[in-house]
Amino acid sequence: MTRADWLVLACLLAVQPWLYWHYWRDQGAADSAVITALGQAPQHVSLQHDQLLKVHGPLGDSVLEVQAGRVRFRASPCRGKQCIHSGWLSRAGDFAACLPNRVSVTLVGTVMRYDAINF
Amino acid sequence: MNEEQSGGRCAAKASRNSHFLFRILHSAFCVLLLTACSREEPLHHEQFLAFGTLIEITTYSVDDAAAQQASAAIEQDFQRMDRDWHAWRPSALTALNARLAQGQSAPVDAALLDLITRSRKLSLASDGLFDPALGQLFGLWGFQSDEPAGPPPPEQKIKDLLSALPTMADLHITADSVRSDNPQLRLDFGAIAKGYAAQLAIEHLQRLGVHNAIVAAAGDLHVLGRHGARPWHIGIRHPRAPGIIASVDLNSGESISTSGDYERYFTFQGQRYHHLIDPRTGYPAQGTAAVTVIAADGARADAAATALFIAGARDWPRIARAMGVDQVMRIDQQGKVQLTSAMAARVHFEIEPTPISTVIRLP
Repeated sequence: MTRADWLVLACLLAVQPWLYWHYWRDQGAADSAVITALGQAPQHVSLQHDQLLKVHGPLGDSVLEVQAGRVRFRASPCRGKQCIHSGWLSRAGDFAACLPNRVSVTLVGTVMRYDAINF
Repeated sequence: MNEEQSGGRCAAKASRNSHFLFRILHSAFCVLLLTACSREEPLHHEQFLAFGTLIEITTYSVDDAAAQQASAAIEQDFQRMDRDWHAWRPSALTALNARLAQGQSAPVDAALLDLITRSRKLSLASDGLFDPALGQLFGLWGFQSDEPAGPPPPEQKIKDLLSALPTMADLHITADSVRSDNPQLRLDFGAIAKGYAAQLAIEHLQRLGVHNAIVAAAGDLHVLGRHGARPWHIGIRHPRAPGIIASVDLNSGESISTSGDYERYFTFQGQRYHHLIDPRTGYPAQGTAAVTVIAADGARADAAATALFIAGARDWPRIARAMGVDQVMRIDQQGKVQLTSAMAARVHFEIEPTPISTVIRLP
């Protein structure tokens, strides 16, 4: 091995961690949420900042909670509360909706594992 | 190393130099590959609510303005169909049902007539397990509402309705009108409209010059073209856990539909009642958790997913054959999976351990 060989090897090793991170990190991690409500433009929300969001629907306000990279329906004026039972969403593609109040939330990531989900 | 031991210094050095050159070229090639990967065409997701669910339009290689315009056109289509074909809010369909109940012949526009005609064919092929004539029964169970709440209807009422058993065979269709022999018949296209509409939407997108797209209406989606160099990759929801149970690559022009007992239901006195009502018993179908069907025709895939869910473990292969579908996955209440061989060849399980699955040969 010449010095140049070692140099190439060192360069390759140096970029290895970046390559690993770039191509093998968890592709399912979500970094933002898209919230839709009847008659309103979809709202993109970062999951980096913890917050409570009020979304207005035909029955009243649904409350979405963002915390530590996750999101959930915290309150909704529907009867069945299926949206609240969906619990925390954290992976890209996860989806919950309060259909009676016409509010939905879908998580998106930089790299989506699936182009679409068949529910 | 070998060269150094056996050959002269010059040969060894040349070999080392070519090795070095090879590595440099190899690295450069890899970097080129990486840059090729990172050059992505624009991918757009647009969402809106219709048919009581979230509709998602995905387009590939379409610029911002065109993607939004296309999605707006599709949203209008969906809102119009939702308005016209709504089974319980005043609509063209509820007006039609009122006239059919009185035994009158009723005029029908071309769009609804096409849906009625397809529904009738598919219903007859399904042995009546997909029965859009049973609107009254779905209403009795409270599934003709935005929020089904129970309780389950009285047994006698179910029996009375089943003794009249309205079916699509009671419906007489002409070029522009329909009439029913059975005054109990009420049309409800909840088990076919989304699959049908998703395919119509894709056809509309094609006319707008879009070549690569997905239209997803929750359990029913239709695809066009590809995602660049690869086909569209679709995840199928796990019926009992959050996340995905299996994935499949869809070819251009294919539809996938899933019917599950988790989609619409209510809980009464600790028991769960879902919306897939078995016309043979009048109660929610037992034994199945989810059925997924892939077919070229969206309406067929949607109606078959419902019919095969209701058919249950023993009858579904026969009904699948009769309805002209050969790519089916059925997940039962215990989480065991049955697949047709055509489905087994393309579906990929995404959970560990892989579920127990059996490949079924259609009759």
